[in-house]
Amino acid sequence: MQEQPIPDRLKISPFLVFYLIMSMQIGIGVLGYQRIIALKAGYDAWMSILFAGGCIHVIVWMMYKIGDTVDGDIVTAHKYIAGNFFGKVLSSIFIGYFTLYSLTVIRTFIEVIQVWMFPEMSTFWFAFGFMILCVYIIFGGFRTVVGLAFFGLVLPAYLLLTFGWAIKFANFYNLLPLLDHSIKELLTASYYMSLTFIGFEIILFFYPFIKEPKKSQKWAHLAVLTTTLIYTVLAIITFAYFAEEQLAKQIWATLAMWKIVEMPFVERFEYIGIANWNLIILPNVCISVWIASRLIKRIMNVRQKIGVFFIVGAVLVLINFLDTREKINMLNDYIGKMGFAFTFIYIPMLFAAVMIAKKVKKKKGKKR
Amino acid sequence: MPAIHKFSKTGNNKRNAENDGDFPMKRWLKNKRIKEDIQHKEWEQSFIKSKDFKKIFYYNQKTNVRFGLTFMATLVDENIIQEGILPNLLDEEFREIEDIKQLVPIADVQICDDPSLIEQKIMNGYVMLTIETELKHFGFIAAQKEIVRAISQPEVEFSVIGPKEAFVESLGQNLNLIRKRLPVKELIIEEFTLGSLSKTGVAMLYMENITNEDNVNTVRQRLTNVKFDAITDSSYIVQLISDNSNSPFPQLLDTERPDRVAGILAEGKVAIVVDGSPHVLITPTTLVEFFSSFEDYFLNYLLSSFFRLIRVFAVAFSILITPIYVAALSYHYELIPKDLMSTLITSRREIPLPPILEALFLELTIELLREAGARLPTKVGQTIGIVGGIVIGTASVEAGLTSNVLLIIVALAALASFTTPVYRMGNTIRLLRFPFLFFAELWGLLGIVFCFCLLLTHLVRLTSLGRPFLEPLYPPRVVDMKDALIRLPFEKQSKRPLFLRTKNPIRFSKKKAQEKKDIDE
Repeated sequence: MQEQPIPDRLKISPFLVFYLIMSMQIGIGVLGYQRIIALKAGYDAWMSILFAGGCIHVIVWMMYKIGDTVDGDIVTAHKYIAGNFFGKVLSSIFIGYFTLYSLTVIRTFIEVIQVWMFPEMSTFWFAFGFMILCVYIIFGGFRTVVGLAFFGLVLPAYLLLTFGWAIKFANFYNLLPLLDHSIKELLTASYYMSLTFIGFEIILFFYPFIKEPKKSQKWAHLAVLTTTLIYTVLAIITFAYFAEEQLAKQIWATLAMWKIVEMPFVERFEYIGIANWNLIILPNVCISVWIASRLIKRIMNVRQKIGVFFIVGAVLVLINFLDTREKINMLNDYIGKMGFAFTFIYIPMLFAAVMIAKKVKKKKGKKR
Repeated sequence: MPAIHKFSKTGNNKRNAENDGDFPMKRWLKNKRIKEDIQHKEWEQSFIKSKDFKKIFYYNQKTNVRFGLTFMATLVDENIIQEGILPNLLDEEFREIEDIKQLVPIADVQICDDPSLIEQKIMNGYVMLTIETELKHFGFIAAQKEIVRAISQPEVEFSVIGPKEAFVESLGQNLNLIRKRLPVKELIIEEFTLGSLSKTGVAMLYMENITNEDNVNTVRQRLTNVKFDAITDSSYIVQLISDNSNSPFPQLLDTERPDRVAGILAEGKVAIVVDGSPHVLITPTTLVEFFSSFEDYFLNYLLSSFFRLIRVFAVAFSILITPIYVAALSYHYELIPKDLMSTLITSRREIPLPPILEALFLELTIELLREAGARLPTKVGQTIGIVGGIVIGTASVEAGLTSNVLLIIVALAALASFTTPVYRMGNTIRLLRFPFLFFAELWGLLGIVFCFCLLLTHLVRLTSLGRPFLEPLYPPRVVDMKDALIRLPFEKQSKRPLFLRTKNPIRFSKKKAQEKKDIDE
């Protein structure tokens, strides 16, 4: 089967990769990552964030190398190393991964809503409305998805300013003494941090949609750098704001910090914050559903619309089974581990395989 | 000059036939001519039924040639016939149809032999001239009666500063107003005739050396594809050639200001002028253009940027404030600070209705007032406004149906929606408030954001002539931001908008225009 090249009018400008990656990375994890890393590495954990961020740059570089070598997305790469049939089998695993990813994100968001805003809200009906919105976005094509990713990042950016209120009450001596945790503890924290970081792996899936992929690499790195800095600064503010024992009890530390925000016309800012988070979550779900449906199209040769309905239907059915906090937690852990395995173990392996395959093919070419 | 002419009755077939008999010709030729004669009569059948259809025969005084004038009395200017056509044809030496080009002192004189043109020409206000010796050829002399309204001040897009001319209902006059402002040969005017019944003249204007050819071709394509019987206004064209006709957002900008049209033509956009409509269409357009008044360009850039931002804020306020009230009072009491809460509670203490019904009641009242005000004559409309605004508003608060806080909010929202410089956008904003109200009642603040996401998606998906409607916000183009939500000074506007992909993106050379000066030089 000859691969269809993507027409230019459907491609996106290189700099939009910045927004795409950042909006995929920043999602539900930001609301409560501080507690998890602080449990492992105490208030030295901010160094773990920087370390994890540094590692991601290497992975991003590998992904661009893979994309550049095979001149296509991950499906092409799999075909490149494993042939048509096994390549498709390998690729189809990721349909499940991204379906579960979107399911996790939306269910966790509904959990946040149910805990903080509307305890009685129906999980299914909100998910249903949300999914209709997603279908509407994805039917607009990749450019619309990217558009929502752009606005999903730019419009809620003002929320960063609201953490200024927390600085007023911060005590930065909380961070001292520095480095009173072992390297192992710091690395464990980095591992848990990577769960919040995942999302940048989408480069491998939309690579053919970038106008000049090589130019976009610097934007991808910049996106990862910006996310790392935001996470680090936010973590430092959180550590300075909460005492360590206090933070251990805050599942959603970011939300808890909004409680201090006070304006003449707004008392409980977290309501506005959570409502706004809808806009941040939306690209997360949309991009993953888009990728999953795109994979279905690439692997099974059906129209993408059918794929979208299939994924959305699956999410809407599965979401009914996730009715307790424990199950949601389990799913979050599960998807985090899968994400870690995919980004930090599978991608380097894929990178090595592609490089070997490239050498082998070159030799073959020379022999002929 | 002969004042009285001999009028003979319409459809004088018998005498024609007699004349043919006199003529010494072979029989086949005669038959042929009779056949053609019958053909002529077919197109006349429905014409004769109309009272204003006139067919009159005359004899030239020098050559005794018998000729006929056929026209619609309601469409032609009788003065032109009486003074421009008839005296010359009667008194001068007139032998064959070619002579009229010399004899008649009118520029638009055509001679043709295609009978299918007859109906169209007569209906366009031409006088058809036939000579009995040359039945195959027809002369058409332009004698249209032009009833043109005097050029008046713009009413919808009034501006205190700047030109006070507005378009009128005549295509020719409107084109004149535009051409006057851009007296260069590169301004191309292409004309189309649209509408199977109305035969409306539609002109497409663009700058040959600037406008992107794809845009011109798209407009041309869409215009030629228009299938409709009667196009009576440019609004029909808006709806017929829009990219997405299911969208409440106007995808073509309409304006009644010739200066605005000249301005956008120079930017590299395409304008569509429709005969019979005082509104000219501009395409491709973007959302931010609907928030820019042309007066912005007459003011200092600081002022105009400030006004534009105010307008954007006003629109956001107008759409969101009532839904936020409903959401806050239905679900999120905690959101409101203590002091403000007491004010709200005092005003709502005796209201029996839930916030959503209260809001819907007031919003619908405002909509009713607006609709009634728009349909009534000006003076009655003003009365309605006073009655509605003061009497109904005060009375409903006193009766305990609505809180006065909400009354203020709704009135402000209505006021804010009037700040949009383009009337069509104001209508869209009126409509948008209701889905937001619905979602606010459903899911509170979350619902408002949800509805906002829907709106955003719709806007991202929307295109105007295939160009993204949200540009320069998305796709983000920093260079085009210079004339979007804010307007930078003209020195900074040396390039045409990027998204129009113009052939010549440079308006003026920045280097030549700007000489850097040091202090005290």
